[in-house]
Amino acid sequence: MKIDDLEKIESEDISNLPSAERRAFLKLGFAVSGMYLGGSVLSLTSVRNAHASGGVIPEPGKYPYNPHYSMVLRERLCIDCEQCKDACVKTNNVPSYGFRTTILEKRRSLGGDKYETIFMPVLCNHCNRPPCVRVCPTTATWKDEKTGIVVMNPSRCIGCKTCMAACPYNARYFKEETRAVDKCDFCLESRLSKGKITTACVEACPADVRVFGNLADPESRVFQLVHSPETMVWVLRPETGAVPNVFYINS
Amino acid sequence: MKNIQILTVLAVLLLSTVLVYASGNGAAEEEYDEDTYGPKSPIVWVKPVKSVVFEHKIHTMGAELDCDSCHDDLFEMEAGAAEENDDFTMQTLYEGGYCGACHDGSTAFASNTRCTACHIGVRGHARLIGEVVGEKEH
Repeated sequence: MKIDDLEKIESEDISNLPSAERRAFLKLGFAVSGMYLGGSVLSLTSVRNAHASGGVIPEPGKYPYNPHYSMVLRERLCIDCEQCKDACVKTNNVPSYGFRTTILEKRRSLGGDKYETIFMPVLCNHCNRPPCVRVCPTTATWKDEKTGIVVMNPSRCIGCKTCMAACPYNARYFKEETRAVDKCDFCLESRLSKGKITTACVEACPADVRVFGNLADPESRVFQLVHSPETMVWVLRPETGAVPNVFYINS
Repeated sequence: MKNIQILTVLAVLLLSTVLVYASGNGAAEEEYDEDTYGPKSPIVWVKPVKSVVFEHKIHTMGAELDCDSCHDDLFEMEAGAAEENDDFTMQTLYEGGYCGACHDGSTAFASNTRCTACHIGVRGHARLIGEVVGEKEH
């Protein structure tokens, strides 16, 4: 094609595009990006307290509650004397068929026919995103607004046990006496609300395995243990995204 | 041909060594003499915490300690006598009492390490005396 002919042809750039068409195109663009924007804003608001992405340990200063109650378990010191269990049973009227806290046992090979036993205390992890709270149809369990403790109202519980199935930590049991699900509440009802500063299990532990406190307070022992250098800190079943508040360390 | 002969001899030697070793072990198992090595059944203490196990076999036959290494200086001969004492605590062990006389970090592993080597706990105790532990094992 010759230059003269080419110059006679109508240009295909946007200068010749009718403004109505350009507007329609822009509108579509706004609608699409607006939809995505709206979606991300919505999801941001619903998970504003979640810190799952940056590992299992939340950043200091980003704890959703104050006091942000948490427990650190110094696992290798546990000797399964079960004085914590006994104290819990006594303090919180736990029946023999259930538990609010218990001790699990692991065996690790040391090579050859040698093994070492590791005792693992478990209890409610008072998750930042508790699956049990999410599934309860009667809002009989919720996260206490002030302390972040996952609490129960037995009279509102209909005993459907959905929370028991949802809990990744097997931390709930059905209590026949109250016809309701029962669980660890960090002794909120039996002790913390009466001015005591620790849970019954922590007080009973002779080996200083269990440490309880306010994770939002940099002076607290739990904060210092979780944020001390060269320390291995882990949580149980992090893959569930529940963001638990019970931490395990090995020092 | 010579190679095969050498191999055969080697194989026979190896087999006999294995057999001697195995029978030696078997004999040692039978030869556990309570008069020499102390009671065969483990000692279990439940005070001040549940439950701590002590095996004579590991210490006498295994570590070749004599009876008078521990008796009657560190421990009375009577089983369970130690746990009646008020000073039968980890603190006393750290100060060189009871097990702490050897479990000091140089003679044997220190008393403040490897807790579960001796502390078998409520679960371990139940298993030892043949009780079924209520929960599923993991």
